[in-house]
Amino acid sequence: MRILLEKFTKSFGSLTVIDEMDLEIDDGEMVALLGPSGCGKSTTLFAICGIHRVSGGRILFGDRDVSSVPSQQRNVGVVFQSYALYPHLTVAQNIGFPLMIRKESNADIARKVDEIAELVHIGNLLERRPAQLSGGQQQRVALARALVRKPDVLLLDEPLANLDAKLRLEMRSEIRRIQRETGITAVLVTHDQVEAMSMCDRIAIMNEGRIVQIAEPMEMYDNPASDFVAGFLGNPPIAFVDGVVTNGRFATASGAMTVSLPFNAGERERKIRLGIRPEFFRPGGTQPVAGKITFVEAQGRETLYDVALEDGQILRSIQTATNAATVGEKVNWGIDVERILMFDEDGARL
Amino acid sequence: MLRASPDGEAMSGSRILGLLLLAPAFVFVVLFFLAPVVLTAVFALTNMSTATGITGGAYQVTQSAMRELGERHGEQALADALARVRYTVDPAGIDAATAEGASTALVSELDRKLAGESFDSRRELERAIKALDNRPRGTRALKSLSALFERSIVNTRFATEEEFFGAVAGLGIELNATQRAALLATTYTGWTWTSENFSRMFSLPDTKRTFLNTIIYVFATLIVFNTGFALVLSIVTHYMPDRPAGIFRAIWLLPRISPPVLYVLLWKWLAWDTGFLSRILVPLGFESRNWMLDNPTNAWVFIVLINGFVGASMGMLIFSAAIKSIPVSLFYASEVDGANRWQQVRYVILPQLRWPILFITCYQSLSLLTSFEYILLATEGGPGGATKVWALAAYLTALNNYAGNLEYGYGAALALVLVVVGVILSLAYLRLFDFKSLVAPPPIEQ
Repeated sequence: MRILLEKFTKSFGSLTVIDEMDLEIDDGEMVALLGPSGCGKSTTLFAICGIHRVSGGRILFGDRDVSSVPSQQRNVGVVFQSYALYPHLTVAQNIGFPLMIRKESNADIARKVDEIAELVHIGNLLERRPAQLSGGQQQRVALARALVRKPDVLLLDEPLANLDAKLRLEMRSEIRRIQRETGITAVLVTHDQVEAMSMCDRIAIMNEGRIVQIAEPMEMYDNPASDFVAGFLGNPPIAFVDGVVTNGRFATASGAMTVSLPFNAGERERKIRLGIRPEFFRPGGTQPVAGKITFVEAQGRETLYDVALEDGQILRSIQTATNAATVGEKVNWGIDVERILMFDEDGARL
Repeated sequence: MLRASPDGEAMSGSRILGLLLLAPAFVFVVLFFLAPVVLTAVFALTNMSTATGITGGAYQVTQSAMRELGERHGEQALADALARVRYTVDPAGIDAATAEGASTALVSELDRKLAGESFDSRRELERAIKALDNRPRGTRALKSLSALFERSIVNTRFATEEEFFGAVAGLGIELNATQRAALLATTYTGWTWTSENFSRMFSLPDTKRTFLNTIIYVFATLIVFNTGFALVLSIVTHYMPDRPAGIFRAIWLLPRISPPVLYVLLWKWLAWDTGFLSRILVPLGFESRNWMLDNPTNAWVFIVLINGFVGASMGMLIFSAAIKSIPVSLFYASEVDGANRWQQVRYVILPQLRWPILFITCYQSLSLLTSFEYILLATEGGPGGATKVWALAAYLTALNNYAGNLEYGYGAALALVLVVVGVILSLAYLRLFDFKSLVAPPPIEQ
């Protein structure tokens, strides 16, 4: 079911957290709300599920305005960061809870619980209690409980934050599989760009209560609307270099780095900021830059280098783990200039 | 050369220090917990009272002792003999006669002719004196002389058995073994060992009433207030905004922190026939009366209210804390799962409060069982014993009653029943709570 936020505003007391936000999520789509903590992504999620009341604007499920509908009647499924399983109930009772509240017959509840447990692969755990489950299993139970009554919308609040790295990887694809199989419209709240990129159809990146950009993951990676977006997506993160451009020639203030840009801003000097992703700064790149290696991090398959320019600005480079450069070594690696991202003084993409 | 390892020294040092630190606690436990229980058990097996004293007693032939000797031991003849007054010419009497100024001739003749003789009545003695050569002149002199030989052991206290039996023998009464035992049992004024307290307790109709009163008191207060009302308070305040909730809880704490005597006095003012209630109700056509002591039902309502208002606060605090410790996400989850407030209370809050509720129920039942201070201050067990609970009965019997004869022994027996019930309940509760699992370290997640 389509979700539409129209001029959605949320304030706590005199503090306005979100001001007139617009967001449309298509039927069957999975969208990530990505941003640093405090950006308003969880607030948005709680407003969609009705735990928080909206202070202004409208929220529509399909064509139904649910802005003032209490959460009990919104028919949303929510997976909480802490899973929020009822500790005194068995797995089966936990999953069947929304149905029991609706006073469905025991036979119906049992059948639906079995079905959904099958879907999330926990059919053998139904008699256990939450305390007897691992984190990943609890996660699956929470997912099953959210899905069992066929909600119009599935909301996931940092669902992977409490899992260890291996389980996180596994659950990422599991949640995506289940979302695809059920065809449910889903909203994922996360601060982890990898989760957002790997799980969702589109990403809405948020900062200070606003959506900065909304796009498909690769589109957003390649064409970030601002330096904030560029800095948020990508791991290891993008490196920024500040300087001025004149006649298509970029130079830092100290002249430590000069490159020619495929961009002509006229003869007038103009302050700009370059964003260079680590994979586009490497030996054999088109425009050489001199610097000294200050940090080496071996990640196994790849190695990450920090390269300091003469004036102290840092470039990052990630390379397959063959180059044996060491800390202190002077290098003269090149930048793939056609992949450089350029931003103006305010951070907007040029 | 042997040398203690530093570790060993530290160990024994810390062990001694530990024992030293424990010593005061041990002393206090023995003095204030163990000793009272042991003494209660000891007293319960005696017939101690104000009349017997708590030290030893003496032997005394009293009217009631003689009645008991006749009725319970079938020794009516012996009782009559002991109670009878007789006249014996003994050295003590002769000395008294000398001191009273009888003539030397009369004294020596009494000593010679009548010494050791015993008479059943005064007239017989006087007839014998009149037969003497140096008999006193005049009836008055005769009367005053014969009075000196009047001998009776009635109401005389004898400190020891030997003295007592000596005196009895002095009356010329021969005792067999059964009679001696019966006499000792009936004339002893001190306390003795007995199990009568318990047979008395089970036979008195008063006991059954006190027992039922205690059940009413404990369960009514516990269910209506200490658990029930405390639950209502904590759940209601949970759904209130923080500030009003805090104020509301503080108000319900006031009875707990106000001095009991003043607190009960306020209730009395409320209920007196010229008190607050009457002021309001009399103009509405009700008769002025003491609303608290008017009838047993009223008295119970007041007792439960007075105790409940005090007792509800503890449950409220414990339950509020327990509700607060429920993760807020559980409330969110139940909300989006469709649960309304009532269903939230039933399916989320109450299951999480299972242990706190059980704990409060157990703890408060024990403390209510032994508490009587508010009843003592409010109704003193009245009207007519309607609100007399077991602990109050024990207190009134042993330590404070109108009749003035404080029955320590019987009171201790009543108290001992409370001790036994309390210990049994405590053990049962500890088992119920599975004490070992409560103190076990929590399982670490994953």
